[in-house]
Amino acid sequence: MKKFGNFNIAALVIGFSFLYIPIILLILFSFNESRLVTVWGGFSTKWYGELMHNQGIKDAAWVTIKVAFISSTVATLLGTIAGIVMTRFGNFRGRTLFSGMIYAPMVMPEVIIGLSTLLMFVSLAIDRGVLTVTLAHITFSMCYVAVIIQSRMSSYDDSITEAALDLGCTPFRTFMLITFPIILPAIVSGWLLAFTLSLDDLVIASFTSGPGSTTLPIKIYSMVRLGVTPEINAVSTILVGLVTVGVVTASLIGKRQKQQLAQS
Amino acid sequence: MTETTTTEPWLDSNQKPYIQIVNATKKFGNFTAIDNLSLDIYKNEFFSLLGPSGCGKTTLLRMLAGFERFTEGRVLVDGEDISEIPPHLRPINMMFQSYALFPHLTVEKNIAFGLQQDKLPDNIINQRVEEMLELVELTDFAKRKPRQLSGGQSQRVALARSLAKQPKLLLLDEPLGALDKRLREQTQFELMDIQEKLEVTFVIVTHDQEEAMTVSSRIGVMDSGKLIQVATPTQIYEAPINREVADFIGDVNIFKGIYKGQDEKGTQLLSEDSKSIIYATQKVDVPVGNRIWFALRPEKLEISKKLPEVDCNILKGKIEDIGYGGSFSTYHVKLENGRQLTAIRANRERTAEHHLTWGDEVYLHWVPHSAVVLLS
Repeated sequence: MKKFGNFNIAALVIGFSFLYIPIILLILFSFNESRLVTVWGGFSTKWYGELMHNQGIKDAAWVTIKVAFISSTVATLLGTIAGIVMTRFGNFRGRTLFSGMIYAPMVMPEVIIGLSTLLMFVSLAIDRGVLTVTLAHITFSMCYVAVIIQSRMSSYDDSITEAALDLGCTPFRTFMLITFPIILPAIVSGWLLAFTLSLDDLVIASFTSGPGSTTLPIKIYSMVRLGVTPEINAVSTILVGLVTVGVVTASLIGKRQKQQLAQS
Repeated sequence: MTETTTTEPWLDSNQKPYIQIVNATKKFGNFTAIDNLSLDIYKNEFFSLLGPSGCGKTTLLRMLAGFERFTEGRVLVDGEDISEIPPHLRPINMMFQSYALFPHLTVEKNIAFGLQQDKLPDNIINQRVEEMLELVELTDFAKRKPRQLSGGQSQRVALARSLAKQPKLLLLDEPLGALDKRLREQTQFELMDIQEKLEVTFVIVTHDQEEAMTVSSRIGVMDSGKLIQVATPTQIYEAPINREVADFIGDVNIFKGIYKGQDEKGTQLLSEDSKSIIYATQKVDVPVGNRIWFALRPEKLEISKKLPEVDCNILKGKIEDIGYGGSFSTYHVKLENGRQLTAIRANRERTAEHHLTWGDEVYLHWVPHSAVVLLS
């Protein structure tokens, strides 16, 4: 392995500081004894305790987890189907258009997605609540799952499916016994990604949520408008922790799968 | 039923073919992959489909397995039309070129997979898996996952898995293509042994003509979706029906010329290369003056510095190139008109007594019996 030069080390430190100093500060001040956010008053975990007594934050957290869980599960189901279909049907007419349409929400401004889903719910006279946030989250996170599944399927040897059929397995059983277990890691990492995306979404949720369906990011945002408190730091730290766990797990699964593929 | 065991059932009109492909056509859009092809394969045959890539041999195999539908025509196994039966209900198994082992299952679970689909009782499945593992000598590897196997071991697992259900017909798509040369040659003989032991009909697809010659009872040479010649390896090599087959199977020297009739020495060809008459024993039935070809295998072309004491089929040339192959040497000899011929000579003497070297003036000679007359 090549040794790190001084320049490389400097570049690394500056780059990572730029990225992570704000978050590290936030985490640090969540353990601040003082009520003043920017003045260090000693180490304490009392703000985490305070959270437990804040009914508003607890409600928002519950809504967020509920929405994230349901939306990521449904998005994974739909995204998996889309990803498999896009690879399995090869080159049909209009394929580029279809795959482009699956990926489009990834680059679409969130404001637009939020606004358009809001308009749809209003025109369908659906009251804004947990349901609408969940539906909107399914819409935008499904494409991320589809991308993950499609990239997994592109390295999937179709003759494995054919071998199972050839050995007397029905097409449905072949999917359940062969295809599904093989692509399961990709499905899990797709689910984790969809879960974290839903967890930290503010823009789309703020368009589609109604009274009683305030998610944690919305709650934090509205609390900040009344001034930053150490409580906000604490709840944000928890959120950062959750998202980190989700993303790291997803990428570890992906890495392990790549190694297995390389070996086989 | 008392079956008379004959080694060449295709010559016996009393024998019923086991696999009958009848007027099979497969089109992909405008492209015709298989063009009105008919073929009979007999029980316990080791049949090879041989051809260049894109000739349709794999498509034909996939049609037999049921992965491609017939555009026209049908296939019968043991008299039963299976053209419309989906792959998972056919009494046929296939060994895939990529082996297609299930990566998440152990070796024994891979082999057991087909048997489990038939809902056989566990003790029978275990026994059969045991037998198969013994057959391919992988008993010690039963608990391994496919990624922990070498190429040769994976190949044997794939073979065991496809044989476990005791299919009527086993299809093998380039079964040895991924192995190195040494292992491939060894595995060819193993395949033949297994095929004999289990009495399964094998149809193998390959582009390797040496492999086809070694293992097959008969070879079907394919090109552009058609069978050009179906015959035993010896016939294909010694009596190809046209230049295409002659050229595809092994090296060959082709002499182009005009048919000048027959005399006591055989068929006369006025060669374009030597501008002289050359002979082949085989008789032809075409008008004098027609264009015909002689095909001559390099090992049947004798090469010497001395003028051979014969009265015909002598060509003079100069050695351009020598390929030393250990047991034999390949000589490229340039004729006076610039045409290059290939001759192979076994290196019987270890010393340089009969030494031939670059630039030597040599005579090439063959007995009329060695040449094959081709009409197309």
